[in-house]
Amino acid sequence: MRSLLALGLLFATAACTGEAAPTIYVALDEQFSRPLLDRFAQELGVDLVQRHDTEASKTVGLVSSLLEERNNPRASIFWCNELAQVVHLGQQGLLLPYASPAAADMPATWRDPDGLWTGFAARARILIVNTELLPDPATWPTSYRDLVDPKWKGKCAVAKPLTGTTLTHFAALRVQLGDAAFGTFVDGMFENDVQFLQGNGATMKAVRDGRLPWAFTDTDDYHIAKMKGHQVACVFPDQEPGGLGTLLIPNAVALIRGGPAPDVAKQLIDRIVSRETEALLAAADGAQIPLRTGVAGPKDPAVKQLGEFRAMAWDVSKTAENLARCSADFHQRWPK
Amino acid sequence: MQNRARTDLLSKAPLWLALLFLAIFVLLPMLQLAGQTCFGPDGFTLRAWSALFDDEAIATQVAATLQLGGAATALSLLLGGGHAWLTTRTDLPGGGWLGPLGIAPLVVPPIFVAMGFADLFPAEGFWPCAILLGVAHAPFVAVLAARGLRAVDGRAYEAALLLRGRARAERWLLRAIAPELLAGCLLAFLFTVADHGVPEFLTVKGKTWHTYAEGIFGRWTRRAVGTTFEELQSPIVAALPFLACLGCLLWAALRLRAAAPDRGVVTALPVRRLGPWRWPALLLPLGYLLAGVGLPVFVLLRWVLGSAQRLEPMSLDYARQSFQKAIDQGLPDLLHSVWLAIAVALLVVLLAVPLARQSGRRWPLLDLVAALPAAVPAILLGIALIRSFHDGPVLQRFGDRFDQSWAFAACAYAARFLPFAALTLASQVRRLPLAAEEAGRFVLRPPASRALRLHVLPLLPAVWSAWVLTFVLALRELDLAVVLPAANATAVRRLANAVHFQHEDWSGVIALLLLSVAVLVPLVPALLFGRRLSSLS
Repeated sequence: MRSLLALGLLFATAACTGEAAPTIYVALDEQFSRPLLDRFAQELGVDLVQRHDTEASKTVGLVSSLLEERNNPRASIFWCNELAQVVHLGQQGLLLPYASPAAADMPATWRDPDGLWTGFAARARILIVNTELLPDPATWPTSYRDLVDPKWKGKCAVAKPLTGTTLTHFAALRVQLGDAAFGTFVDGMFENDVQFLQGNGATMKAVRDGRLPWAFTDTDDYHIAKMKGHQVACVFPDQEPGGLGTLLIPNAVALIRGGPAPDVAKQLIDRIVSRETEALLAAADGAQIPLRTGVAGPKDPAVKQLGEFRAMAWDVSKTAENLARCSADFHQRWPK
Repeated sequence: MQNRARTDLLSKAPLWLALLFLAIFVLLPMLQLAGQTCFGPDGFTLRAWSALFDDEAIATQVAATLQLGGAATALSLLLGGGHAWLTTRTDLPGGGWLGPLGIAPLVVPPIFVAMGFADLFPAEGFWPCAILLGVAHAPFVAVLAARGLRAVDGRAYEAALLLRGRARAERWLLRAIAPELLAGCLLAFLFTVADHGVPEFLTVKGKTWHTYAEGIFGRWTRRAVGTTFEELQSPIVAALPFLACLGCLLWAALRLRAAAPDRGVVTALPVRRLGPWRWPALLLPLGYLLAGVGLPVFVLLRWVLGSAQRLEPMSLDYARQSFQKAIDQGLPDLLHSVWLAIAVALLVVLLAVPLARQSGRRWPLLDLVAALPAAVPAILLGIALIRSFHDGPVLQRFGDRFDQSWAFAACAYAARFLPFAALTLASQVRRLPLAAEEAGRFVLRPPASRALRLHVLPLLPAVWSAWVLTFVLALRELDLAVVLPAANATAVRRLANAVHFQHEDWSGVIALLLLSVAVLVPLVPALLFGRRLSSLS
């Protein structure tokens, strides 16, 4: 009985957290974000609570949590690696404006005019190619349209556009192409026996392990495979004159309305969007592409810097507005 | 008189606390979850339930789940049942030490078995998934079948053999152990169909078909895109019938388990000579242990040595680097896991003892109540707990941020694993002689002292077993770790993510350390006091 009471007391003590600590929800891969956040928290002298997403529910899981917690927010900050999801949260009224002085030198394209979010360090949607299966670069695919090219029938993959960057990519494509052309494109992929895998990691591994000659993935997945010595190359798609361009998906950070410890959260945001963070993320295994000029990019020349490739001009707001509709439609087309 | 009433109240307090815990951490959250499906913004409605029938994916997922459960359970029966029969009943070489190892694959988190399989074979198809889940859950069959075989009176078997011949005697033996065997199979089936982590891991690896548990979690993670009441409730509506089916399965398993006579061994079954099959028969238990323990450990070792990269050959130098990275990256997660598992096991044992005493002596139906959390898939229990403690009308009062706390994670884990300890201890309570307890009532000692000497001390070996079982299960839990914020930092969850990002090297080190902890703790009594290994099962 006494031991039970003692244990109860211990648990009650553990449950009493006192003043709410700043809490950050992070969709960027834990391996890259955690060391940085640990360092920032140490510099600020705060006990930062970090919640990282699981690979299976990439980003969407945390976005769902934020929406569900809107009446009683648990998070102070949301660090998302998909801009459209953050814009979507802003449109839902979950974000508090904060224009970080540390991001004053960030190009205006990557900052919300109302200060609801700040973008930084991006990944590009690229084609990963197995150079053992396709040794001649002249034969490599060069466009998203190769997914519907009969030449590649059954020989290429893309993740199901249900979560992650592929959802944002396909939603942006839909906005860009229009519903009818996008529908034709999707039909074409099914007719071309494109392999729809569960995530970008799965598509990368299918190519890395030689099961497929090429697939869509993100620059970070490609770069880690390359670092580990696998025979893969990276193609920035749609670079031909008049082409659509390669989709660039930046990280974005935002302050949550009503979240705990907002003052500390702002200081943390200042550090997250700093030039130093962009440089660190570029130098890390994820090889993120800095959005500012003058920040050193990834060492791997295959991961191009901004200005070295044609970036897709996508309408972030419109994509975010369409995200829910796209997601619902995609779930009909690619049921889990 | 007043003193006696107070003493009675005090002596009952642990039981009421345990029941209160069950109510707060299992019943209320589940009831609230169920209630929310019928109350939309406009009041009572069954719209969410009727929308369920329009979903075409459900039938496919149910069929896939049943097929997976059936195939995996058949394999569990073959491996677990075969292992038990060969090591308990025959003159298999090394049977004495191979027998207790039948439970060993339970120590290995199924996600590690999946990682091992996926590293060596293409694991996205149906059969690889069925095989690895069958292997991972075979210990349930192995342990219960062995227990059934040990409980059969050898004299009865020999009488049947003499009077009715070998074939009929074996049939009689099979009937005698059938309740335990079926209970083991039902548990294996239950755990297979409720598993979310492994099928999802294989999905990330390229599996293109989905189980029902995956469907539920998929709906849960996508609720952000839902805009209507029906869409928001769809994961819960989909989960509740599943829960009802699992509850029925559990009830059947418990009934079967209770029906198994625990006669106490008067004479062990005669050893069956395998003759020329004696050595070849070793292949089954060795194959089972190889698949359940050897293969994952082999793959983890290869990862540590650098098998997942192509820059340099595998080497001890690379292993040293892996170890260094593991210390930097994963050690805090490992320690978090160990501390959480210790606290959970302690809490579970303290709650299970009064429940077991009561169900063993007075309210047998309490077994079913205590076992209820085992029927709730961990992922659903996690969802229910988060919802209830975050914005539930009653449980939210526990504290604004209780649902984010470490204590909350420990309580949620304890709720999940309480059945295993409660049932183990209840079974032991029933074996203790009632006469000693009745005689003890006449001893002039304070009730607390009497309870300690008469009720707790004889249970200590079983308490240790229950503690170890809970500790190991808590160490390997993945589904709850995914849902509960404070459990996000456990090693198993971190590993499931890290492997995806090609960090096999240091993940392998952390996984091996985790396994070492899980193996060493159960061995402590054997190492310190020379306790027999067979006590583990």
